[in-house]
Amino acid sequence: MSAPDGPLDPRGVRFAAIVTTVVLALVLLSGSGWLALAQTLVFALGAFAGMRFTPYGVLYRLVVAPRLGPPAEREPAAPVRFSQLVGFVFAAVGTVGYLAGLPVLGIVAIAFALAAAFLNAAFGYCLGCEMYGLLARARA
Amino acid sequence: MVGLLVLVGVLAAATAVGLVLRSRAGRVRTTARPAAPNGWDLAGTPAGDARFLLLQLSSPICTPCRQTAVLLSGVAAQDPGVRHVEIDVADRPDVARELSVMRTPTTIGFDRTGREVLRISGVPRRGELVTALER
Repeated sequence: MSAPDGPLDPRGVRFAAIVTTVVLALVLLSGSGWLALAQTLVFALGAFAGMRFTPYGVLYRLVVAPRLGPPAEREPAAPVRFSQLVGFVFAAVGTVGYLAGLPVLGIVAIAFALAAAFLNAAFGYCLGCEMYGLLARARA
Repeated sequence: MVGLLVLVGVLAAATAVGLVLRSRAGRVRTTARPAAPNGWDLAGTPAGDARFLLLQLSSPICTPCRQTAVLLSGVAAQDPGVRHVEIDVADRPDVARELSVMRTPTTIGFDRTGREVLRISGVPRRGELVTALER
């Protein structure tokens, strides 16, 4: 991952998780590999460029944030980026599954990504961020 | 059809996990681990006249760890018998291993003799913690 970026508005991260949850739910309902691919690209932007560059981040900044006022606190970007990378891996596997005619692989991979996104959207619990903390511990 | 069933199943399972995590977060759990290492030794500070050690394990990038540090140093400031020590698990992975800590922030309470008596994962619930310290 490239240079660390500035801290994030946690409400924006939550907003992105909500949109991600909806998109992944639609993938499961429609079985559309192309929609899965679109979400995979969003995850890739979040992981390799930063949350600010994802369409959900842009939508939050332009439409949602101006109605909310300034954030009371900010959260570090690195764990969130890592969580996007985890999402990217699962969504990429799911996309390959759907597009290569392996629907079971697609469903299972997208189901995992959906569970993580939903936990963040509904409870503010970031599974990928927790994993980042654990990995930091293991690396040290 | 399969997609719909999986969707409902995933949302139900994730909701259950989320509710369990939420109900546990910040709760004071009394622990009794006789073989656990001595808290004052891990903190690298003698007990002195303190009767209680709150050892906080944090990681470098962790928003709730900062909230926890503020809360615990406030508790320690109000009660001279309580000492708060924060350890970064990136610097001291051995401490996390010895105490079997898997998440940050985790706060472990040790009595005067260094025996572990309580454990809190997540940002502690202040009232619950203060009550536990008074006992």
